Amino acid sequence: MFQAASAKLAQTLLVLLIVSAASFAFLKLAPGDPVGIMLGSDYSKTSYDQLTHELGLDRPVVQQYGNWLADFVRGDWGTSYITNQDIFELAVMQALPVTLTLAALSLLIALVIGIPTGVMAALYRNSWADVLATTLAIGGNAFPSFYLGILLIWLFGVDLGWFPVLGFVAPWEDFWLGMWHLVLPAVTLGAWYVGLIARITRSSLLEVLGQPYILAARARGEPGWRVVWVHGMRNVLMPLVTVIGLQLGGMLRGAVMTEVVFALPGLGMMVTTAVLNREYIVVQAGIMLTGLLFVAVNLAVDQTYQFLDPRLRRR
Amino acid sequence: MDCAVALTTQAANMPVSEEPLLDVRDFSLRRGQAVVLDGVSLALQPGETLGLIGESGAGKSTLALALIGLLRAPEVQLEGSLRFRGTELTRLKEADYRRLRGNKIGLIFQDATAALNPCFTVGQQIAEPLKRHLGLSKWDRRERAAELMHSVGIPEPRLRLDAYPHELSGGMQQRVMIAIALACNPELLLADEPTSALDVTIQAQIMELILDRVRELNSSAIFVLHDLALGAQVCDRIAVMYAGQIVEEGPSERVLAAPLHPYTRGLKSCVVELGSRTLVPIPGQVPPLDAMPAGCRFAPRCPKAKAICGEQRPRAEIRDGRQVACWFID
Amino acid sequence: MSDALNITATPDSQWKRRFLQPLLRQRSAVAGLAIIVIYVVAAVFAPWLATHDPTAQDLMASLQGPSAAHWLGTDSYGQDLYSRLLYGAQLALIIGFASVALGLVVGVAIGLAAGLMGGRTEWVLMRIVDGLLAFPELILAMAFMAVLGLGTENLVYALALSFVGPFARMTRGDVLQVKNQPYIEAARLMGVPTAAIIWRHVLPNVVSPILVQAGMRVSIAILLESGLSFLGIGVVPPTPDWGLMIAEGRAFITMAPWISGVPGVALAILLVALNLLGDGLRDAFDPTTQKDA
Repeated sequence: MFQAASAKLAQTLLVLLIVSAASFAFLKLAPGDPVGIMLGSDYSKTSYDQLTHELGLDRPVVQQYGNWLADFVRGDWGTSYITNQDIFELAVMQALPVTLTLAALSLLIALVIGIPTGVMAALYRNSWADVLATTLAIGGNAFPSFYLGILLIWLFGVDLGWFPVLGFVAPWEDFWLGMWHLVLPAVTLGAWYVGLIARITRSSLLEVLGQPYILAARARGEPGWRVVWVHGMRNVLMPLVTVIGLQLGGMLRGAVMTEVVFALPGLGMMVTTAVLNREYIVVQAGIMLTGLLFVAVNLAVDQTYQFLDPRLRRR
Repeated sequence: MDCAVALTTQAANMPVSEEPLLDVRDFSLRRGQAVVLDGVSLALQPGETLGLIGESGAGKSTLALALIGLLRAPEVQLEGSLRFRGTELTRLKEADYRRLRGNKIGLIFQDATAALNPCFTVGQQIAEPLKRHLGLSKWDRRERAAELMHSVGIPEPRLRLDAYPHELSGGMQQRVMIAIALACNPELLLADEPTSALDVTIQAQIMELILDRVRELNSSAIFVLHDLALGAQVCDRIAVMYAGQIVEEGPSERVLAAPLHPYTRGLKSCVVELGSRTLVPIPGQVPPLDAMPAGCRFAPRCPKAKAICGEQRPRAEIRDGRQVACWFID
Repeated sequence: MSDALNITATPDSQWKRRFLQPLLRQRSAVAGLAIIVIYVVAAVFAPWLATHDPTAQDLMASLQGPSAAHWLGTDSYGQDLYSRLLYGAQLALIIGFASVALGLVVGVAIGLAAGLMGGRTEWVLMRIVDGLLAFPELILAMAFMAVLGLGTENLVYALALSFVGPFARMTRGDVLQVKNQPYIEAARLMGVPTAAIIWRHVLPNVVSPILVQAGMRVSIAILLESGLSFLGIGVVPPTPDWGLMIAEGRAFITMAPWISGVPGVALAILLVALNLLGDGLRDAFDPTTQKDA
């Protein structure tokens, strides 16, 4: 048991190391000369060499990586050339909560709509619910979220005027106003997940309902709703969590697009702006942070899965 | 057991004044065009055990599932009558049927590993019918579940209550299954090949356990089995099924000792006995459900078949204290 | 059914039975394929089908709705949307297929090398692959675009690089599975050269799941391509790209919804079609994934 846990830990640490190395490599590969950028257009050879030495850029790459990693762990992520803002502050304190809020709200919407649709589709095959689930699954999954966002802004924001079209109000400062601003973005991003969740729920539930233990539950007099929602859905949770975890890349892809369309100051917006401004140090922070987030969520999914499936639980 | 056989033999011979616990009359089950069960009739007295014997695909399990109401319209079409304690089951409302399932009628599945939900503890699964049908409180359910586990021979039941099915051996899982089926002291227990998924070494134990429990509760039981000798050994009566029909039904000893139907004879000679010289398999195979012969379904494989066998279905005749469906009973 | 009975063992009918018929059994996949064929035809014949030069600006005719002169209207620069739509299809398909093909070749090469060589080479290669897989595709592609710079060609490279990881991991997994089969061992013992073993025994076994994967990746590639261009980190204006067109039309959504509508709808339909075909391919050829019942 302890061995398995420590092997998992070692593996995670290795991946984290790779993530950090990749982020470090990014800045090394990025075009432009950071010393030149920092000094501006006019500088002498001496001041150039001095700054190079101060920044440690004359040392071996491995040592530079070590220093960089130490700074990173300490939360010293540098300062933006353009806004003079502390990058740790910008990325972790400002952008990350926005993206996490958006993602969580989208996932919630997707679950609330997707699961019942999928269950209905499984129970009443070839009914309207089945058609809806299939349409959502194919349409929602393929429809580009940035265009969906534009359509929603046009329809509900501009034409009907029900929701604000742009901008972000932190829900932790003004909850209802914040939520009101997040409705359209969360629907845009959630639409992508709804179909996926409905589809997995449908196919997994169909498979589970064919299992002998479902027949056995009915044979001991369990009512139909309990057979489906308790005995059946309990077993559907595992594939559902797996798929939600596996599709995290798609979720982040959609989040970047959605943030830009709705001008939400999240990680996606931060990275996009930074790429456009060629502010590679900020891009690097974004890469590192999404990498960490990715690893963390995958780990969380893994743990949830073990928790959900008693057969994998260690006792 | 001898005594019981004698008694039930008499009961079958004489007109019964008391209504049997289960009375199946001319019961047919169709799935689309396929007639899966064709004109099945049998009766079961309180406290009686019946063995349903036949090859796989004979419709034994289907009959068990139909009896407990898990195969009903619109999934399948039912005809004829199923009476349980005087209630007509085929017309019973789903909500009322549900009150019988796991309560008055229990079902033991063939493969306990597959029939226990992997995500719930065995205690939770045993407690379900106790809550549903007996309305016991949470604490009482736990107590009763532990008692039930003890009664089916699970050691240290209190420790095992919170175990998940995968943490138990196959034999223990089947004991749990039995505890669930017997949780509400059913009047009728259906056991669908209860030992065939188990290790040979514990098959006898489990069979013995079920029989003990059934006798103790004074329940009736129907065992679905493929082994004629085993059926004759454990059951008062035996019904031999072939391709959805009962071909011969009667007291175990007589059916085994002197089978009347050619199919029963074929089954018997399939059984390897110590000292027997020959093992004669029945030639051919069960015809597909959508291509059943119009007359006797066994006719294409029957060594004695004549023209009439393929054309007209033989009616069940009472002969020597049993019913036999064959044109040529000698 | 009657076709199935007429099959003789010619290579042609072999192909039909193994690939065409399972696919044709899936109606939605056929519909997807039909739509894709229409897009491919539009893309190939864009120079002949187009009524205008896709990048010709005519500020006198800007923001016009559909008319006889401009069938689908014009954008804010007066560029003809119908012509841009056709050339946009060309660009989307070229970038989509080229990036997946490139990613596939590199990924399969890495996977083969890692799976067959083993040892330290495998360890190093797979750690690089881990690094690629540790990031979401879009972030990876954005990072590569930042390093490489904007432009169509760089976009293909960036997308291809972000696809290398999955292909490499899949190939290595398949190779490891095939490598331990008795018939590979037998071939090795018989002295068949390694290259021949790879070519004759290993590749045919890994090719089918990888092609299925590639089919499904094309739609992601096109989504990423248009998405990055929408964000301004992909193709540069005035190239007729759907993502760019949607971004441009965004500002005029109330007065001229067709500017973003034309490329938006075209993109959505293409992606749906690609997904339908991808699902069909997966159901027909990939035994590892279960079909939706």
